[in-house]
Amino acid sequence: MAYWETILYIASMVVYALAAGGFIYSFVFKNPRVVSKVTLFVAAGFLMHTGAIIARFYATGHLPWSGHYEYALMGGWFIVAGTLFVGWQSKQLQGLAVGTVPLVLIMLGYGYMQNPALTPMAASLKTVWLYIHVYFAWISFGAYSLAMASGTVFLLKQKSDTSLTPNPAFERFPSLSRLDELIFRYVVFGFITDTIMISAGAIWAKDLWGSYWAWDPVETWSLISWLIYGITIHLRVTFGWREKRLAWLAVVALSSVIICFFGVNLVVNTSLHVFQVR
Amino acid sequence: MLKKLIKYLSSLRFTIVLISLLGVMFIIGLWVPQQRLLKTVYLEWQKNTPDLVAFLDTFGLTNVYTSPFTISIWSLFFLNLSLVLWQRWPVVKNRIAVSDAKIVDPVTASAYPFRQSFLISTEITDASILLSLSKKGFTLRGDAGGFYGIKNRLAPLAFMLFHLSFFLVLLGGLVTVYTEFIGFIDLAQGEKFQGELIRYNTMPIPKMPAIGSIPNVSFKVQSIEPKVVRNTVTGIDVDLVDSSGTNHLVGINTPYNTDNSSFVFKHLGVAPLFILKDPAGKEVQGAYFKLDVVKGNQDTFRLGDFIFAANFFPDYEIKDGAHTSKSMEFANPVFVITVMRNGKIIAEAPITKNGSMEFAGYRLELRDMPFWVRFYVVKQRGLSILYAGFALATIGVIWRLLFYRREIVGAVREIDGDRWLVVAGRSEYYKSLAEDEFGLLFESASTGKTAKNQYG
Repeated sequence: MAYWETILYIASMVVYALAAGGFIYSFVFKNPRVVSKVTLFVAAGFLMHTGAIIARFYATGHLPWSGHYEYALMGGWFIVAGTLFVGWQSKQLQGLAVGTVPLVLIMLGYGYMQNPALTPMAASLKTVWLYIHVYFAWISFGAYSLAMASGTVFLLKQKSDTSLTPNPAFERFPSLSRLDELIFRYVVFGFITDTIMISAGAIWAKDLWGSYWAWDPVETWSLISWLIYGITIHLRVTFGWREKRLAWLAVVALSSVIICFFGVNLVVNTSLHVFQVR
Repeated sequence: MLKKLIKYLSSLRFTIVLISLLGVMFIIGLWVPQQRLLKTVYLEWQKNTPDLVAFLDTFGLTNVYTSPFTISIWSLFFLNLSLVLWQRWPVVKNRIAVSDAKIVDPVTASAYPFRQSFLISTEITDASILLSLSKKGFTLRGDAGGFYGIKNRLAPLAFMLFHLSFFLVLLGGLVTVYTEFIGFIDLAQGEKFQGELIRYNTMPIPKMPAIGSIPNVSFKVQSIEPKVVRNTVTGIDVDLVDSSGTNHLVGINTPYNTDNSSFVFKHLGVAPLFILKDPAGKEVQGAYFKLDVVKGNQDTFRLGDFIFAANFFPDYEIKDGAHTSKSMEFANPVFVITVMRNGKIIAEAPITKNGSMEFAGYRLELRDMPFWVRFYVVKQRGLSILYAGFALATIGVIWRLLFYRREIVGAVREIDGDRWLVVAGRSEYYKSLAEDEFGLLFESASTGKTAKNQYG
């Protein structure tokens, strides 16, 4: 890791940790007023996070694209960017960070334990398809994470609303029906970008490996994940799965994406999706 | 009975069952070593646990992606998809049709959840209300006395497109499978290749196409230049010259494409020219050898009565008395040669380009050190169909889910001397988004006074 990258990376983790603590405090102690202030912490952490990426860019000459550390660094950035963007669009959605910031914190912590060595850009990554494939992968991951966060908030708010003493922290969030629609919208957005990601990946794979589809573990898992979200959309549109069931689906389905990004290479060592020394 | 069966086969429930089963098969494919994909791992596993492997083989689980069970699921999936498309087509046609019959009273229209009435300013004419709707992308029928408007009318066609894309992918996939030739070929700098089948590597055995021919090519490998920074391969330039004298630069991510075939760079090796001389200085034998030594592998070659084991160090140094490489960069390439005769090691020494080593009165000279490359050669037709399928799927999903339909019915009515625009609206998928949009649609035409339930 580059010198400034290390400092900014750790600083952003500390700030995200404080923000995650603040969000948890606001929910547990029913104090909704701190949410806006804690969002400022997330924004500050995001600036440091961006700084860490810039520092790494200066050290290596390319954006972080490959390996678990760089997945965590860049993927976490997209998730926080998405969270801040929706919070900026609607103050009611600032609290979605209660789901996404802890997720990013875990990702960054995990990434830090992996190999963060500075490496030149591998030849296999020097193609325009990388930008399309990887950017859309991160955007879909960000959208699915927001769907998960909306689902989490929906489930908590619904539980609170049906209790004898509703938690005022949830009053800041949109209504349950709006949250329900938001989950679906994030899933749809993620599904579209996921479709582009898989198509672009197949075309790239043809040039790089000679085969557009090789049942590589990461390929296969991305297909499984795409199918899961495809089923989710069908269940919502055709079978009318809404609210609690949709929220649970959004929360559980994210695990398939996390497995695709971080899990497959842990259990299977035959993936072609390892680019550093190829 | 048949009707019931067709109904079930065309149901979404059945689709979900099939997709779930496919998901299970894919997960099995991730965990169970597959014969075609992980041959070495599979063979080792078979040696260690023959009974288990035989059991899994029986059920096709070691060839899960092409097992009869998986193919049956895929067949049922496409049957299901065909039935769905066949049944949905009349519905889609009906939904995209615009007719006066769709103009209904916005007060009593039952399937329109959004209802609102807007008090219209006096300067707004009936025609301008319809014009503003038209400008916002609504296709309209009727007049101010009663109208029907629809935005993204053709969106249901996207449903057909998205699902048709699966058939294109299937067709493209089948064409590629049946026309596919796969082979590997090792070519060194300066070598010519005329497309002869016999020149392809025998292991793995080339896969011959069921339909069509093997690649018809002719080129010479002009030069090979690997680029490495520390331990990362940052590029490779393989310059090919075809029979018409045109140069083609092949690299990682940039295969040589010709005659529906791709020559994909897969592997790099060193092809040294070794000459063996006897004690009298007479050349015994000499040849270029394609040695697979770049990533620390040891390879062997034979000259005269000797067997030579070659280890390659691209950035050679001696560290703690041992031969080693500082990095993977080709900064100081050195072979360390171990000479064997009758199974006994008789000498070992490093040797550089234009250098030599001596043993048992003999002399081994390293005259040249070019590279060789292994190409993964694949010829297949149908890729354009397949890519069209990907494009259609992407277009279909974007069109269907982002450009969703919004419908409104409305009428301008005089009530107590005031002009009210009474509207009812509905939307696919995003009720809240559409409600916001409907509210804003007439904001400019109205005085700001609205009535949610007055007429609805």
